[in-house]
Amino acid sequence: MATARDASGASASASVAEAVSEWRVRLPEKPFKDLKYFGNLKAKVIDAGICSRCLTCAAVCPAPEGITAVDGVVFENWEEKCLDCGACVRVCPRFEYEPKSGLGEYLEILAARSKRFSGQDGAMVTEILASAIEMGIIDRAIFVGRDEAWRTTNFHLREIEQLSLKTLRGTKYCYSTALSELREAVLRSKGVGVIGTPCMVSGVKKLREEFPLFREKVKISVGLFCTENFHWEELHAFLKEKGVSFEKLVKTDITKGQFIATMTDGEVTFPVSELEEIIPSGCRVCTDFAAVDADVSVGSVGSAPGFSTVVVRSALVKEIIDYIRRNKYADFGNVMLKVVNKMVKLKKKREANIKK
Amino acid sequence: MRDVKKIAIPEYDAVEKAKRHTFALITAAREAIMPLTFTIHYPTERKLMPKNFRGFILFESERCINCWQCAFICPANAIRMKKAPDNRYYPTIDYAKCIFCHFCVDSCPRGALKPTKIHDVAYKDMEEMLTLTDKMIEKPEVHREDERFVDYVLGEDDATLKRERGKDDFFVEVPTPPEVRFVSRCVQPESCLGCRICEGVCESGAISSVVEDGVRKMRIDEEKCTGCGLCVKECAMQILTLVRVR
Repeated sequence: MATARDASGASASASVAEAVSEWRVRLPEKPFKDLKYFGNLKAKVIDAGICSRCLTCAAVCPAPEGITAVDGVVFENWEEKCLDCGACVRVCPRFEYEPKSGLGEYLEILAARSKRFSGQDGAMVTEILASAIEMGIIDRAIFVGRDEAWRTTNFHLREIEQLSLKTLRGTKYCYSTALSELREAVLRSKGVGVIGTPCMVSGVKKLREEFPLFREKVKISVGLFCTENFHWEELHAFLKEKGVSFEKLVKTDITKGQFIATMTDGEVTFPVSELEEIIPSGCRVCTDFAAVDADVSVGSVGSAPGFSTVVVRSALVKEIIDYIRRNKYADFGNVMLKVVNKMVKLKKKREANIKK
Repeated sequence: MRDVKKIAIPEYDAVEKAKRHTFALITAAREAIMPLTFTIHYPTERKLMPKNFRGFILFESERCINCWQCAFICPANAIRMKKAPDNRYYPTIDYAKCIFCHFCVDSCPRGALKPTKIHDVAYKDMEEMLTLTDKMIEKPEVHREDERFVDYVLGEDDATLKRERGKDDFFVEVPTPPEVRFVSRCVQPESCLGCRICEGVCESGAISSVVEDGVRKMRIDEEKCTGCGLCVKECAMQILTLVRVR
């Protein structure tokens, strides 16, 4: 149900009887007292090189044309335009950085392959969100699509039929701007699902902690197993040099230490360690492989080719998996936890890059 | 074929026949001398328009609360709000775009926009059609050529036209709509960003904020709030709503 944004209604769920004329807003501490809040964010996170480009700040920034991502996260003319509300600082997972690591808490771990959809591995991200729409848990899911040059785009999925669009499925190894559209999504829908890397789902966790609007409306956050992400410009240039022709590219995959770019007429493979030089600084200080803050984490590591490892963390996602089981929407297989734990341990080593 | 009824010409007696023939002759004579044409002889005659006829729109600026509802609702995008010397925004209507639907008149919460029965509006050029606020406040100059007004009178088996000498008044007395007081209130204060966009957009200075003890305190003064709804529309988290107060 789309929520009308007119002068006579509000999309909040509290009743009118509890409406107030006076209220308070928490103001976080400013490490740089003479700068506006975005200036503080810029100094402590962006310019310090630890910004993960999750864009959680953009999810809350109320300034028209406020926070966007170009080469990195920017707010043009923030000295004048920043409204100094402090919301960005409250939700940034790196402002008071507490690095997450480990496998995280979970209710169950399984390997599965969707029978309805095809994707990167088992298409379980698609299957979980499609089932959630069918169950009526969410009426909108922000999927990541791409253009011909493999720049990421945002697609607000409303109906399962829209998933016939192939570009919605499969991994894109560059930054998604999904969170910058989350507030609008939440205001227009009853339930929203969002897909993101570990930094993005940590941002969603903070959004839920700080603002009831997000807590009530963001029903499912799907986290992806992640070692690092890339800036599109840098990855695009790198792959082009390796001989990848983007018009013919159908799949990009990182598996068993190899980067595999599959095109309609061939394949380009190289060791993923060659990408080391273009790993962004924000990713170098991240220790979260398994997206521990997500409601469910999905990745290829730990399951057979064609299957996805699914780490179910919330009761709601467990209901969705049970629904998938009942309807026989997926085949289930075995999880090799050893491999997952190995990657978890490996990423934890990045702790060393974090300045104290 | 059994259910087919035959329609027969009624049989009249001599008295009935005489009555009917006389009536026909009287009607014929009347029509020959004083024909009851339905054609309204415009501009000498004008049809009597109903009180809520959707004609040229007048504006009473004292009633305006600057809520911008007229501008938002106009389906032809004919209303532009313009800043006046008192720093408040008031509507202007571009009659090149206006479709005379009167959604603006209907949506005005204070009845500041008013209908008139003026339906012939003439301009020398396109630019003149953009009617500024002061031209909406003062009554326009009306050049009248009509001497009579006509109205339809519907009888049981006939419709006739009633012609009356005189001029129908174009300016209608619009009763003031009953003032239903609304004020803005916050329905989910814990989701407030503290951006103060509401405070910035408030035309009546009802919303204020102050920073005290590391906390931003927001306040809506219900005495000053006109219930215009601009803050509700602009709130980034959509947590304000209009509440009726008695």
